[in-house]
Amino acid sequence: MAIKIGIPRGLWFYDYYPLWKTFYEELGAEVILSNPTNKKLLDQGVKNTVDEACLPVKIFNGHVMDLKDRVDYIFVPKMMSVYKKEYICPKFCGLPEMVKHSVSGLPPLIDTEINFNKSRRHIMNTVYQFGSYVTKNPLKIRNAYKKALTAYHDYKNQISQGRLPIDGKLSHDHNQIKSNPANKRIALLGHTYHLYDSFGSMNIIEKLKEYGVEILVPEMINMKVINERAATLEKKMFWSYGRKVLGTALYLQDQQQIDGAIYVSAFGCGIDSIVGDLFERWTRKNADIPFLLITIDEHTGEAGVNTRLEAFIDMIDWRKRDEGNLSAHG
Amino acid sequence: MKNCYLGIDVGSVSTNVVLMDENKEILGKVYTKTQGKPIDAVKRGLQEIQTQITEEIKVKGVGTTGSGRHLASMIVGADVIKNEITAHGIAALNFVDGVRTIFEIGGQDSKIILLKNGIISDFAMNTVCAAGTGSFLDRQAARLDIPIHEFGQKALSSKNPVRIAGRCAVFAESDMIHKQQLGHNQEDIIKGLCDALVRNFLNNLGKGKDLVGPVVFQGGVAANVGIKKSFEEALGCEVLVPPHHEVMGAIGCCLLAQEHAAKNKSTVFKGFDIVHSGYQVKGFECEDCSNVCEVIEIMKDGQLTARWGDKCGKWSNNIEKDKEKLA
Repeated sequence: MAIKIGIPRGLWFYDYYPLWKTFYEELGAEVILSNPTNKKLLDQGVKNTVDEACLPVKIFNGHVMDLKDRVDYIFVPKMMSVYKKEYICPKFCGLPEMVKHSVSGLPPLIDTEINFNKSRRHIMNTVYQFGSYVTKNPLKIRNAYKKALTAYHDYKNQISQGRLPIDGKLSHDHNQIKSNPANKRIALLGHTYHLYDSFGSMNIIEKLKEYGVEILVPEMINMKVINERAATLEKKMFWSYGRKVLGTALYLQDQQQIDGAIYVSAFGCGIDSIVGDLFERWTRKNADIPFLLITIDEHTGEAGVNTRLEAFIDMIDWRKRDEGNLSAHG
Repeated sequence: MKNCYLGIDVGSVSTNVVLMDENKEILGKVYTKTQGKPIDAVKRGLQEIQTQITEEIKVKGVGTTGSGRHLASMIVGADVIKNEITAHGIAALNFVDGVRTIFEIGGQDSKIILLKNGIISDFAMNTVCAAGTGSFLDRQAARLDIPIHEFGQKALSSKNPVRIAGRCAVFAESDMIHKQQLGHNQEDIIKGLCDALVRNFLNNLGKGKDLVGPVVFQGGVAANVGIKKSFEEALGCEVLVPPHHEVMGAIGCCLLAQEHAAKNKSTVFKGFDIVHSGYQVKGFECEDCSNVCEVIEIMKDGQLTARWGDKCGKWSNNIEKDKEKLA
């Protein structure tokens, strides 16, 4: 019987899961995903995580709980760094340890370390380590990795064309910023595990679509462009996520093609406290782009988010009508 | 017969009802506590406003706002359902010419609204902190055994305000207690609290924004002259409190309803008679999937009239079918 590998639908899932899934499936393992985030899963996660952790980590533990009794291994890589001279949030660096100490009755974890801070030269060693849980055959692993990379690049490509991976499933419609300035165009910023988790984000993408808004996420901007802008920063941004967000901010500033920016942040996120603030300064102050911060945590009452979104869209409508010199409010 | 517009603002702490005529004159206003029972509060508000009116009126439009706006709309039948920010902005624009900055402090949230050329250009609402909102002030007033309407007045008589931590309601309260146990005057502590709340408001919501006059201060807390004074001291300019500051959200709704009616649209107002209807609310947890949604059912005189709270729409969309079954 094939080895069952469980992948929790949380944190880095939204960025990499086709890579991981294809890799293990090519090696002959069966890949099982946890269910999309729901209330029961969140409750389980909250109960089994240290109090100070942020919402996405609690959700992640909920996904681990969801998988633990039905798989042979749970995939919880130790993500230290994915780019040279850059780091990832400290919570990811210690994620396997945090999971092990929070959740009891776990199957073994696949907790290989991913650390490209010094160089990416030894990337294949890391890949072999990941593969060794299923097979010891390096050729097989190499081939599986090749196929996995193709699947991954295809996934990234689809997202860049506006097919957003909500709960890990690529949307059918292509979100795009069209050239018609009469449309409402909003940049949506935040960690991928916030934006694409429909439960955790209170379905913010769908809500915006219902308002007839065109959405731009950083994943839809050419990474090269973002990196070029980020390189103009006074100092190298040492968080990969920070580079992406700040590069986006600088890009939006120059482009002048969006009507507003919404930043989704989890309560207590250390990275957002700096990156989010810088983003706000550059868009709101320097470029006069309206900015809305949505802080999410465990609450499931949606009134607060709805009110803020509604008011924000109203304001954009109002500003647009004013530019056309039509009558005021509405 | 006078044409009128009805505005209802169902907030966390108070429910406000305003009746405005075509010339934007306020004919009647009611400020009543929500006390956790928004339906009762709306009914009470409608009942009270009727007693304030002597002439024959015809309601041409209804607007609702506040966190209970959808619930209120379901009960009274509203033509416009708007968020608090837009409603407050519109009300302030109509009553204070050229307003540029609005501070609004309500029962549980506080907001700052910036306007440019007569339109809202930026806003912020408090995120996770309730320090400085009406509920917190209410609590402190009750703890010190001072009626809330005298609370602000006390602050004005302070000569030597103490410093209170304002970042968090819990810190503020413990700081107040420590200062009180050291023997500081009550008015100095209250003034210190007002300063702290204003400091927190300006840091939290006003961060990085250009606050230009005219500045309007509205919401229930605007009745507190101590907070108003602290705002003026912090900003170095006059802060205007409109005469109907506590019901500005409802006034905004009246204005929106008037605009709606001007487009020749008839109202869906169910009439004042609804105060005699009995409403029951039932809640249950749907256990059909792991989302375990909390579904709310509203019954009017034993008839199911509305249902919401489910993510999949199974319950909220099915209401028409169930109605037929009941009939």
